[in-house]
Amino acid sequence: MNCKICIRPVKEKDYCSLHLKAYQNICEKFEAWNKATEIFWIDYLTNISKNSLTGEWAKEVAKHLIEDERRNVKEK
Amino acid sequence: MKKYTLIISEKPDAANRIAVALDDEGKTTRETDNDVPFFAAKNGDKEIIVASALGHLYTVAGTKKGEWDYPVFDYQWAPRWMTEKGASKNRIWLKVLSKLAKNAEEFVDACDYDIEGSIIGYSILKYACGDKEKTAKRMKYSTLTREELRKSFTNLLPHLDFALIEAGLARHEVDWLYGINLSRALTLAAKSSGMYATLSAGRVQGPTLKYLEIREKNIQTFVPTPFWSITAKISIDDHIFDFEYEKKVIETKSETSAIAIACKVKEGQIVNIDVEEFQQKPPVPFDLGALQSEAYSLFKYTPMRTSKIAQHLYVNTLISYPRTSSQKLPPAIGYSTILRKLSKSTLYEKIAQKLLAQPTLKPNEGIKFDPAHPAIYPTGNLPERALDASEKNIYDLIVRRFFAVFGEPALKQRIKVSVSINQHLFFMMGYRTLKECWIEYYKPYVHSKDISLPLLFEGQKVAVKKINLKDNFTKPPSRYNPRSLLKKMEKEEIGTKATRAATIQTLYDRKYLEGGQNMTVTDLGFEVTEVLRNYCPSVVSSEMTRKLENEMEQIQLKQETKQNVLANTTKILKTVTLTLKQKQSEIGGQLGQKIKQIHLNRQSIGNCPKCQTGKLVIIRSKKTDKRFVGCTNFFEGKCSTSFPLPQTGTIKPLALPCKTCGYPVIKVLINTKQPWNLCLNPSCSAKEQKKQ
Repeated sequence: MNCKICIRPVKEKDYCSLHLKAYQNICEKFEAWNKATEIFWIDYLTNISKNSLTGEWAKEVAKHLIEDERRNVKEK
Repeated sequence: MKKYTLIISEKPDAANRIAVALDDEGKTTRETDNDVPFFAAKNGDKEIIVASALGHLYTVAGTKKGEWDYPVFDYQWAPRWMTEKGASKNRIWLKVLSKLAKNAEEFVDACDYDIEGSIIGYSILKYACGDKEKTAKRMKYSTLTREELRKSFTNLLPHLDFALIEAGLARHEVDWLYGINLSRALTLAAKSSGMYATLSAGRVQGPTLKYLEIREKNIQTFVPTPFWSITAKISIDDHIFDFEYEKKVIETKSETSAIAIACKVKEGQIVNIDVEEFQQKPPVPFDLGALQSEAYSLFKYTPMRTSKIAQHLYVNTLISYPRTSSQKLPPAIGYSTILRKLSKSTLYEKIAQKLLAQPTLKPNEGIKFDPAHPAIYPTGNLPERALDASEKNIYDLIVRRFFAVFGEPALKQRIKVSVSINQHLFFMMGYRTLKECWIEYYKPYVHSKDISLPLLFEGQKVAVKKINLKDNFTKPPSRYNPRSLLKKMEKEEIGTKATRAATIQTLYDRKYLEGGQNMTVTDLGFEVTEVLRNYCPSVVSSEMTRKLENEMEQIQLKQETKQNVLANTTKILKTVTLTLKQKQSEIGGQLGQKIKQIHLNRQSIGNCPKCQTGKLVIIRSKKTDKRFVGCTNFFEGKCSTSFPLPQTGTIKPLALPCKTCGYPVIKVLINTKQPWNLCLNPSCSAKEQKKQ
């Protein structure tokens, strides 16, 4: 099975090893963002996906998570 | 014909220098045989011929021919012209050396006194001169100046440095075994998936690529976090100074706002002034790594470029041997003589005279030591010809560094002023140079950021002009540049001073790396590292490489044997190649996909303007044999976008899309016609306008 984002094989949580590391970083850093600015998850994802310092793979995961969030809202 | 002493040097220009220096009258006759130069000289009653190599004339090569497979463990030392394309000139060169050896009664190796130089001399004496390595004597010198070369010739070492040669041979053979087996394994694996690309890996290349790959991963997966900082503009005696808040990093927005509100007052008070004097020691003499690093930082020269420039300066007798890892300058080099010679240059006269007036000359040495050569220093000779800009820069840097190491430590003052603004502390740090000492000698390559402060006292009231809040984000680690990567390799003790720059170049040549100052690992680089890490982790392990480096150093110290080291290497590689062979198709699949993508990107004309996910490539129809542009998603049944193409001429994609419609643009080149740019969009309005 391929990664949700690229053609590499899945390692965990439907991500390849590279996008998995990016995903883990996104989850881990949310705590610091939330403490600093009391931000919501979706706003946090939007923020980091537009930040020029965010790595390309982290941006790809963030954009993917935003799409997931939007899809979930629509379904509800 | 009279018998002579045959001296073998490393390169023709060095041979010329040696002949001129050894000749009693300082003259030499340049002779040639089949365009191969050699130089005649007379030293006392000795007739001398100085011939040279052309770098390495012999190399390690496999014994089995015609078979392109692995594992390979049988090898021999063979002439390079027999094994490498483009080395045919070496064949005549070796013939001439063999011919010159026939009439020689004494042999002297005068190649550079390091691992590579020792192997060059040894292999010529052994193979081209007919086992003369056993009786040959050795010249040891660190500069190509007349005095040192004559002294070295008078005090010839009785034999070659066999321990150094053994260590060098071991290094070449180990590297060859790693290189040939891993490179063939990767290339054949890719081939098994139907893709062809020259892939390579090596003992030093593997771990180096891994450092880059780890850094790249950290950058690409980086998520910044916010933080804030506060500064205050404070007026003291009509001068505005920037003060920093005591906490450099404030983690929450609410805390930042609270501090800013509290500090919105008009006055603060100096609560503390800390003044501390300290000494700043002079720098240590240059070893090659430090010179490369400084040249990169000052002039942005790559390590390879600096190395080449330094080699030119050495051959022109302006500096000592540059491929050294020593940070020591022994008194035997003659500090005063060098300074006296340099004082003849108007550029250096003042500083040299000042140093000569010192009661003693003692360099500030570093800890690194090289048994073969001292640190890099100027010989004192002034350029006979005008140096080009880059040579001038490196020469001047070496001369001024030489001056600086003899300087007294500079005396500096650190001043820390603390101001309280409504109970919140802000401070400013500044430096003053009280006595320049060595800094004066190393200008313009050192900058002291001194601040000038008015008279200050504790309890003094100061005006707060402005409080600035700054939104910041944590930054990803910086990409390696040639300087920082070289430093990393040195720190990890992988490769040698002479080979590190070339290893970095190979990574570029193999397309594992791109970008100059910001080294970026390509997709192919990622894939190769991943394959090596998954299937043969020892190949990318720094520990393994370092262990091997240590073992080779032990050979040089006669505490290890070449046979043992090679036996261990073979044992490791047997396991590695077995795994690679067993997993060949799996690895091939992984590499093949990436190579395919690279080929596709190279062929691609641009992104498909309709489906946005496919790439536009040139396709030739099997039915009509006509070429056209189609989308790669067509093969998956997702997109049928296609565009017609002119059927003759060469097509080159252009980087910028059409200004009118945004579709990709190609350049059409036909021999008989003027080249023209063509937008792929048949209904592009620019075309319509042209028709009208």
